[in-house]
Amino acid sequence: MRWFIDSMVGYWILLLLISLGVAAIIYLVYLKDAMNF
Amino acid sequence: MFEFEIAGISVPLFMLILTGSTVGIVGGFIGVGGGYMVTPALIVFGFPGYMASGIDATHIAGKAVISTVRHRQLGNIDWTLGLAMVGGTMMGVEIGVRLLNWTKEHGVSGIVLLMATVVIMLGLFIYTQIETQAATKKIQKATAQGITTGREMKATRMPEFFQRIPLYPIVRCHTARLVISMWVIVVVGFLTGVLAGFFGVGGGFIRVPALVYIVGATTHIAVGTDLLEIVVSGGYGALRQSMSGNVDMLAVMFMILGAMVGAQFGSIATAYVRGPAIRYILSYSLVLATVGAFLRLAYLITGGVYEIFNFLAVVFTLGEMIFLCLFIVSLVWFSVRHRHGKTVPKWIPSLVVAVD
Repeated sequence: MRWFIDSMVGYWILLLLISLGVAAIIYLVYLKDAMNF
Repeated sequence: MFEFEIAGISVPLFMLILTGSTVGIVGGFIGVGGGYMVTPALIVFGFPGYMASGIDATHIAGKAVISTVRHRQLGNIDWTLGLAMVGGTMMGVEIGVRLLNWTKEHGVSGIVLLMATVVIMLGLFIYTQIETQAATKKIQKATAQGITTGREMKATRMPEFFQRIPLYPIVRCHTARLVISMWVIVVVGFLTGVLAGFFGVGGGFIRVPALVYIVGATTHIAVGTDLLEIVVSGGYGALRQSMSGNVDMLAVMFMILGAMVGAQFGSIATAYVRGPAIRYILSYSLVLATVGAFLRLAYLITGGVYEIFNFLAVVFTLGEMIFLCLFIVSLVWFSVRHRHGKTVPKWIPSLVVAVD
């Protein structure tokens, strides 16, 4: 876990995983039915 | 859910406000309008494609005004540079739009747009990453030798070549502290305008690197001056889109409600970081947008068979905005901690400003 903060690459990966997780939840809960792609 | 009568859809209101504020933070920080993130997001929310583009263009103009006012207060705008670029940019945008219409007439606009997005953004990402990593290493080396470095550090000598071009009139950009041929500025504005018009975006993700690596402005000046540019080009785009009936003003207002706070925070956040940090965030936005465009391209090329590409493209589109926002907020937080002498990750000191 320490590596995710101490290394810039690790921090990048940590934030990306959190962001993609939040985005997936938002999409599945609120937007899936409204999808117009 | 809120009913938007002009668009004919219902959207969770907080999603529009959240999108406006996150893209406001990112846009105010790296000097982009955010169209390449917002338009796909609005399409995901359910807005028709043409209306997503119109709402995006209109909200960008409003958001750019907020960011520009803040950057002016921070001293990040060179009016000579900005106004010299406007003419070239407007001409370029018109040519870019006509080029786009040509591809539309030949039925290849979707594929061509996405492929061009992937190629140009990937190229910019690679160059910006290499240069910024070299600049960061220079800062770390200087710090290790006890040399105090300023807010900006670059590892490229490309601007010197363009600044030596002896085409009159030569202009003196006082705030940016550079002397350069006006024709270089106009041509940079024109070429970035063509790309912006073609992609249907504000063009900041191309113009900011162009101002840094070709004209030679510092990253902070490039960000502020580019946002001034976007007020003009975005305002024109908003007018054109509104006249074509592509704008739901209620949706625009809710997005600007979020951007009112986000854009101010993003602009002020630039005062806490050095130039390389802004360029890092810009390059991350480019690579994530490239991945999103590539996934959409893959979905289109495979004829819409594999839904997983669609799902991943949507998640990347939304996740990109959240990621950039989190990174910018954490840079500001680490900068404040570093100023107060608290522990920060060792990669932080070379990216943040230690004193006011």
